[in-house]
Amino acid sequence: MNARGAVKVEFTPEQLVEVRRLQGLYPDRRAALLPVLQLVQDVFGHISLEAEEYVAGLFDLSPAHVHEVVTFYTLFFREPKGRHVISVCHNLTCHLLGAQQVLTHLKKRLGVEVGGTTPDGRVTLLSVECLCACEIAPMLQVDDRYEGNLSGEKVDRILDGLA
Amino acid sequence: MAEKILTRNFHLPGSHTLALYRETGGYAGLEKALAMKPAEITEAVKRSNLRGLGGAGFPTGVKWGFLPKGHPGPIYLVINADEGEPGTFKDRYLLEKDPHALLEGMIISAYAIGAHVAFVYIRGEYVQPWRIFSRAVAEAYEAGLLGKNIGSSGFDLDVIVHRGAGAYICGEETGLISSLEGKKGWPKLKPPFPAIRGAFGAPTIVNNVETICHVPHIVRRGAEWFASLGTKTQGGTRLYSVSGHVERPGVYELPVSVTLRELVYEHAGGVPHGKRLKAVVPGGSSAALLTADEIDVTLDVDGLRNAGTMAGSAGVIVMDETVSIPEALMVVARFYAHESCGQCTPCRESTGWIYKMTRRIIEGRGRKEDLDTILDVARRGAGTTICAFFDGAVGPYISYIEKFRHEFEALISK
Amino acid sequence: MVKLTIDGKEVEVREGTNIIEAARRLGIEVPHYCYHPGLSIAGQCRLCMVELGNNPRPQIGCNTQVAEGMVVRTDTPKVLETRQSIMEFHLINHPLDCPVCDQAGECWLQIYYMKHGLYEPRMVDEKVHKPKAVPLGSHVILDAERCILCSRCVRFCDEITGTGELGIFDRGDHSEIGLFPGRELANPYSANVIDICPVGALTDRDFRFAVRVWYLDTAKSICPGCSRGCNIEVHVNVRRPHHNQGRRVARLKPRFNAEVNRWWICDAGRYGGKFVDDASRLGAPARGRGEAAIEVGWEEMIPLIASQLRRYRPDEIGVLASPNMANEDLFLLRRLVDHLRLIHVDFRVPPRTPGDEDRILIKADKNANTRGAELIGLGPRPGGLDAHGMLRAARERRIKCLWVFHHDLLASAWPEAEVGEALRAVECFIYQGSNSNGVSTAAHYVLPSAAWVERDGTFTNFEGRVQRFWKAVDPLGLSLADWEILGRIGEAFGLGAPPARAEDCFKALAASAAPFAGLSYRELKDTGKVVAA
Ligand SMILES: Cc1cc2nc3c(=O)[nH]c(=O)nc-3n(C[C@H](O)[C@H](O)[C@H](O)COP(=O)(O)O)c2cc1C
Ligand code: SF4
Ligand code: SF4
Ligand code: FES
Ligand code: FES
Repeated sequence: MNARGAVKVEFTPEQLVEVRRLQGLYPDRRAALLPVLQLVQDVFGHISLEAEEYVAGLFDLSPAHVHEVVTFYTLFFREPKGRHVISVCHNLTCHLLGAQQVLTHLKKRLGVEVGGTTPDGRVTLLSVECLCACEIAPMLQVDDRYEGNLSGEKVDRILDGLA
Repeated sequence: MAEKILTRNFHLPGSHTLALYRETGGYAGLEKALAMKPAEITEAVKRSNLRGLGGAGFPTGVKWGFLPKGHPGPIYLVINADEGEPGTFKDRYLLEKDPHALLEGMIISAYAIGAHVAFVYIRGEYVQPWRIFSRAVAEAYEAGLLGKNIGSSGFDLDVIVHRGAGAYICGEETGLISSLEGKKGWPKLKPPFPAIRGAFGAPTIVNNVETICHVPHIVRRGAEWFASLGTKTQGGTRLYSVSGHVERPGVYELPVSVTLRELVYEHAGGVPHGKRLKAVVPGGSSAALLTADEIDVTLDVDGLRNAGTMAGSAGVIVMDETVSIPEALMVVARFYAHESCGQCTPCRESTGWIYKMTRRIIEGRGRKEDLDTILDVARRGAGTTICAFFDGAVGPYISYIEKFRHEFEALISK
Repeated sequence: MVKLTIDGKEVEVREGTNIIEAARRLGIEVPHYCYHPGLSIAGQCRLCMVELGNNPRPQIGCNTQVAEGMVVRTDTPKVLETRQSIMEFHLINHPLDCPVCDQAGECWLQIYYMKHGLYEPRMVDEKVHKPKAVPLGSHVILDAERCILCSRCVRFCDEITGTGELGIFDRGDHSEIGLFPGRELANPYSANVIDICPVGALTDRDFRFAVRVWYLDTAKSICPGCSRGCNIEVHVNVRRPHHNQGRRVARLKPRFNAEVNRWWICDAGRYGGKFVDDASRLGAPARGRGEAAIEVGWEEMIPLIASQLRRYRPDEIGVLASPNMANEDLFLLRRLVDHLRLIHVDFRVPPRTPGDEDRILIKADKNANTRGAELIGLGPRPGGLDAHGMLRAARERRIKCLWVFHHDLLASAWPEAEVGEALRAVECFIYQGSNSNGVSTAAHYVLPSAAWVERDGTFTNFEGRVQRFWKAVDPLGLSLADWEILGRIGEAFGLGAPPARAEDCFKALAASAAPFAGLSYRELKDTGKVVAA
């Protein structure tokens, strides 16, 4: 723990090798910023301000410029998230085919609002724009997986499968 | 039944493997291409009437021709796999089901334009497509199809797979370049156009996944054959993503001369549960809406432009009679408000404002003036922005209200 | 060169010029927010729309470079309508809090709204809320709701200082200007973002709620903070003396000079003018030390000084001029020194800590006119002592009369004890300067100088550029410009009537000192001239 009360962010030597590899992959090493932020998130669960400063140091960037990037993209989490993230698509086709009901069902089952994480830290619930799987609308993304043609039962089955 | 070209292997198990791709004639186009002069390939692509399938419909060969001649530094090929246009999902199928088709197209295209590094920008949410495509890249390297001296031709190409992080605007080609460069996805001012000064300051060609997947076939079977599949001004087939109120949603590969009615009723099985059709979005959410009476149009770039809408990404969203158009507009307006990059004032300010107005109307707090305000704001903002994102939002803003004004007015007077 | 037509008028400009600058050449204003000639093109505000040739769709002028034969219109109905729309977009989320905004009166939202806006407001929805009154550092305060996200401040920190403190975070209409949480805007040029911010989003903590800008008067000037000689404007508040706690100098602002400072000044210079209205200002000539000091008029003081200077042999007198005096002052001092055949003359006093310097503007030499003092020749005469030597000689009572201009010797690199001993040892210690300091209190005679903003004059910067500064306010109390004091003392020695104006001193300087030959106030214009090599 440091002054801000957060876990110290530092890559292991192996992870640093990966950072250097990514930086070397592109004509300009700054291009590795998104992949490295993804790595930070994989390793530490989310991207804290400390992590942003740390990454700024790895790229010789000002922390403000890293902050611009982190706050721009929806897949970067700035707060700790649940062990699983469920993102329900609420765009047009899913909306036409019942996204609201899916969302209501999930909110009730999980007892959280959109953007919230269950108290046990199991699931973070999000409502997102088109995931481009409209042929299986209504659909959601759970972690790496797309699940579609959702019904109440199917959502329940998905939830039951999450540790 | 028209011939399937890009989707011919989709139904085969293992369609994503190099072995199967080769068995079905894959990489034959590459062999032929590497024996040609690069300029001959560009010429063939021009003659084929291939038009960009990412949204703008710009003739691909012409775009390639904008590259500076005899450029001494690097030139980059960037594949736009940031599929994000609501209602569109065909690039996901291509990445998952036939990644080697994209790779073969990339190698030929890179050879044609003189690029030795190609980037594939895949939207961050597409984890499975990214895994499958990355595996195909690894396979291709092992088989000597990527890297140094491809097929003993002396041509080198490296492919770098880059993942997005959640931002629709990174589908816009210069937003994509900014993002690829490690910045937020703010589109860049044009001029300079990417072909002159793109990724990392070098001349760059950005093409959609599907566009590039067509290239091997053009090389193998000839530009004239490809051109003959479509209309006078657009060659080939394209992949239509059909979703919403249809019996059989999915990806349909059809010649661009197909009509919207044929697509919805014959191919996708029509509107389920005996409901009547109300409206169709023909080219992704940024395309203006067509009413049930307006669907006898061909789905090529010019056909739809003449119908006052656009082919866009060929994402076809079908709405039956039960749909509330004001609610649909609110959903779409929420999307544009959420995805505006915020860089330029007209778009940043009016997408948020229009969303607030549509939401107010849905919540029963609409005011008589709101509809005209939305129309006026949309019209005045159109054409004033850095990128075409806002013009894309204007399509639905105006068409939903103009074509279904009575539905909005009913909500307002309540 | 490229020839083009704007609103029917032909103009010829350099290749690479954009439409905004080309139109400016014709006196045509293309309204704009994000464009700034000192920064890269961002194209974000979309206000600078013009029509090009037959293209029905207006294009932005800032990112359009001129081309031969180009036909530009800035006044078509379509352009005017587009401008009005863009103004509306800029204002829909703006808090419209002009009555409590320091920018009022010099805000480009107000100005352009009156010229190009004037629409019926129709936004009734809740505006986006953002942080207000956030200090960004010691000088700058942010109101994010007033920000129009033009990114000028961001580009300044990226491109000019290279410090990158500012960013635009989030996206859409939640986009927000700011610092990395917990950091400060602390670069040495931070306050320039206040000047380039076209609206009231970034304002000056020092100037906050001080005076309404329409009560300010302006004079052109030169920053005396270092040897760069940045061109500035002095904004003074004399019309509302009860505002701003009696501070007459309300603020210093950069003034464009392509050869010197472009659009910028450093924070040290910007806030370095405080001494002018400080309580330490010397308001009247005085004789006698400490408690015994009594104020006297100049009629009494001038003969007293002259008689003191007559009392000592030339080699018993030391003169320590200041490299912060103007060329005019230094020239009259030199004339007097020559007339009295004084030999112990110098102007260099090493600072206790070496000055900071960078590759942007800031020079290590914190004096405005070192080069002038060198060129006019205020170094030791043959056989004379330098400044340090003079102090030693004073301690050893070989120098009996010491005349110090402006220097606070106790803040120099020399040990305080040595300085103190020297000042106590001399029989006659004359201090001439604008403010009291550690050494002025030890003086037998105090001659109060007008501050640079209270008079006309010129400084010669480190590259030999002679630049004029203009009087902005009257001298405080009885203080006089150094050249006036020296002119009167000269008169007492038979050197003729004192010059009437600073310009007369400069004429005489130009006539007698080779490097200044051919220069005149008129010749110097607003931006100065470099002396002959
Ligand atoms: C807001 C916006 C979003 C876009 N999204 C995509 C996209 O997801 N995929 C894509 O290929 N093109 C997208 N485009 C089009 C690209 O800017 C570009 O025209 C295209 O990638 C060029 O490839 P093509 O000529 O092969 O179609 C988008 C354009 C805009 C204005
Ligand atoms: S039009 Fe919208 S999305 Fe495009 S640059 Fe401007 S703010 Fe960004
Ligand atoms: S704070 Fe001022 S200078 Fe900075 S972006 Fe906002 S309006 Fe522009
Ligand atoms: S609308 Fe939900 S996946 Fe496209
Ligand atoms: S000044 Fe041209 S877009 Fe802002």
